[in-house]
Amino acid sequence: MAAANQPSPSHPADSLMGLAGPRVLRLLIAAVIAIVGLVAALVLPLAFVLIAACGLAIVTLASRNARLQRYAFQAAFAAVIILVGRVLVSNLTTELDKTNLESLPFVDLSGSFPFIDFSMDFLDRRAGFGLPETSFGQEYTENNSYGDAYLAGLLNTLRVAIIGIFLASIVGLAAGVARLSNNWLLSKLATVYVETFRNVPLLVQLIFWYTAVILKLPKIQDDASFLNVILISNRSVAVPGMNTSDGFGLWLLLLLAVAAISIAVWYLRNQSQETTGKPSYPAWSAAGVFVVLGGATFLLTGSPMTFELPELIGRSHEGGLQVTPEFTALLLGLTLYTGAFIAEVVRGSIQAISKGQTEAASALGLNGFQRLRLVILPQALSIMIPPLTNQYLNLAKNSSLGVAVAFPDLFRVTKITINQSGQTVPMILLVMVTYLAISMLISLIMNVLNSRVRIRTR
Amino acid sequence: MAVQTRPISTSPVTTRAVRWTRENLFSSIPNSAVTVAALALLYLVLFGSDPVGQAGALATFDWPDLLGGGLIKFVFDGADWSVVHANRRLYFLFRFPTATPTAANPDETWRIWVILYMLSGLAGASAGLWTRIDLKVAVVFLLLMVPVSLFIGAGAVLLLTGGAVAMFAASYVAAHFAPGIKTYLAVAKNVAIGAWIVAFFVAWTLLNGVDSRLWGGLLLTLFLTVVGIIASFPLGVLLALGRASTFPVIKGFCTAYIELIRAVPLITILFMALVFVPLMLEPDRRIVGLPITGVDFDLVARATIAITLFSAAYIAENVRGGLQSVPRGQMEAAEALGLSTSRILAFIVLPQAIRAVIPSLVGQFISLFKDTSLVFIMGLTDLLEVAGIVTSQPGFFGRQAESLLFVALIYWIIAFSMSRASQRLERTLGVGDR
Repeated sequence: MAAANQPSPSHPADSLMGLAGPRVLRLLIAAVIAIVGLVAALVLPLAFVLIAACGLAIVTLASRNARLQRYAFQAAFAAVIILVGRVLVSNLTTELDKTNLESLPFVDLSGSFPFIDFSMDFLDRRAGFGLPETSFGQEYTENNSYGDAYLAGLLNTLRVAIIGIFLASIVGLAAGVARLSNNWLLSKLATVYVETFRNVPLLVQLIFWYTAVILKLPKIQDDASFLNVILISNRSVAVPGMNTSDGFGLWLLLLLAVAAISIAVWYLRNQSQETTGKPSYPAWSAAGVFVVLGGATFLLTGSPMTFELPELIGRSHEGGLQVTPEFTALLLGLTLYTGAFIAEVVRGSIQAISKGQTEAASALGLNGFQRLRLVILPQALSIMIPPLTNQYLNLAKNSSLGVAVAFPDLFRVTKITINQSGQTVPMILLVMVTYLAISMLISLIMNVLNSRVRIRTR
Repeated sequence: MAVQTRPISTSPVTTRAVRWTRENLFSSIPNSAVTVAALALLYLVLFGSDPVGQAGALATFDWPDLLGGGLIKFVFDGADWSVVHANRRLYFLFRFPTATPTAANPDETWRIWVILYMLSGLAGASAGLWTRIDLKVAVVFLLLMVPVSLFIGAGAVLLLTGGAVAMFAASYVAAHFAPGIKTYLAVAKNVAIGAWIVAFFVAWTLLNGVDSRLWGGLLLTLFLTVVGIIASFPLGVLLALGRASTFPVIKGFCTAYIELIRAVPLITILFMALVFVPLMLEPDRRIVGLPITGVDFDLVARATIAITLFSAAYIAENVRGGLQSVPRGQMEAAEALGLSTSRILAFIVLPQAIRAVIPSLVGQFISLFKDTSLVFIMGLTDLLEVAGIVTSQPGFFGRQAESLLFVALIYWIIAFSMSRASQRLERTLGVGDR
């Protein structure tokens, strides 16, 4: 068998199913056969596909030609997959036709080329349901379309995912480093945190935060607050926010230019530090340039942004940044749960750095914080990123559990839309494709980051 | 060895404890500050206030009160645990018939007891055959069982629970200390494995004597977990082998499946199974002209299908990592011995690959166990759903915290034991020592 797998050029098995000729021609023939077979398997009656699958299986078992066996086996596998898929899809469409629902988007051979009807017209219809919150300043009322509602859900999911990833990273980094602290009490506290939050389902935690903590906050008319800055109630939590006026856009543009200048300064100072060997404080200089120029442009554009404290007016919080109890519960749950997993990633990565690095850094006279920031973390980061990506992906996907605390995320909007419009199949496919896109986006960003921090080995 | 530079103090005051405290908590000024801050945090969580009592002044309301005035005060004073005690049967079995049997609705609880005794006996025997139980662990376990038994109930229930523990101990002793067991150890282990497989089908049959719509609580959670693990593991291994295959069609299919499933949340797959499975596989559907009847895809079956399909993709990725860790020389050597491909995989590659990834596999099983809480989306009543339902009964309103903490404790105990068992298995098998 091992010998048959490595045919010599003159071996009969080298020709494709007995066909001889130049390699390109053989590949071309193989491609044509594969395409014809695929189309036939998709179009011919199911019984033919079944017979073909059985025939190919018999060829696989009976053939003495290793290459033919290979092709026949794969073709049989493809035939079985197509067979099962076609049975399932045809059952589905028959059943959906009975209930008079749109079964889009599926291959429709009676239609025109390319036989796929992707029209999702119902998304333009009036939604008729309101959403308690939207993100990034999007306006949405029940008079908007299903498509707008879907967009609102998507933006809500993105908001909670972005803020959650940011906060969970901070919590995870802190807890992971704390677990390795040589302070016994701190490392035990961090261990208890990690082991507690990792081993209880996220859904239990979410419902606990929502029903047992956040909904038990004081009523809004009780005017509860921390130092009159953070207003708290079971209807909303308000924190200080920013108020923008004319010229904000201009300032933002100028700020981008300032940021570019700062990066240039950082780069130049870094270069000079590397060539001369004298410390030239690249990060401090860049930060200084950014603050001074940023402040100057801020004043030049007429102070387009003001700090605003929230206040209680009547029975609602006004001004500042207000978040709903649902959002707070979801964010709190996602942050603490994912933070515990990130802590383990951080700990594992730091422990993977050889002890000699720490000892060498100590020998150079670096203190604990310097050792961590300059020697350990940069190396740990490159080990950390792949498992960290998984945790970020988990957080984004787990935001769909917001449905349990009535947060209007992508999944909840999808569920409401299905209940109202009956468009089950297109909506489920749409929401899956959307989550796929979000996951791919996160993977892409993290892969870019990964290639930037990878240690270049000699 | 390094030279001891610091002389050990001979001062009678410096006891070991003081030295330990100084080294581990107050070795330097920053270290001492961290200790004080950690103590303050601990105090806040446990007693709902800071040691000096000034935290409350920051706010215009009594915010430590939110956490029931700290964990200790909440657990021992503020909480009303009667919600848990009064509903204990609901948490474990939910509507499994029945606490109050009638002629039309006979008591089926005996099925659960039979399964429990069977599993206790098997677990005890397996523990006796494979490991040696630490006497300390056994004593702690028995001491813990006392409050648990008292909680579970008095009279017959208490006796039956004690019986299950006794069954475990008796089987352990019988298997571990049987005369001449050393000679038959390999045979006895094979018999035990066979017994586990038989026990699975016996338990399956016993449970299916009751309509699955009446399953709920911890029973349902454990059922979904066990069946999910048993079904998704082989599927995951097949997918991993498919992804490592040199056949482009099979490799492409497996890769696409794994990546697609891993990119979407479980909740959407559960929802899809809820809607699509009955449409695609209804009992009266005809598959290629053959009527497939007698298969009723109830909610539990749909949840199991979804969890299995989802979990298999993750298991496949774990196993793939293991496959990559097996040196190529192993396969070449097996080929040189003339073994067939299937034998190479079954006897050479897979045992090494799976052993290398036991920790991540168990991590995946723990995830699966926690993920079973998502079946609420299908309208199933698992342990977490029961926690919500019991607090909607009159008399238990507003007791969500107690109910959820109890449920969280059950989840925690099971998940934590699984992770500890995996660490132990890892040590026994010497993963990482090679």
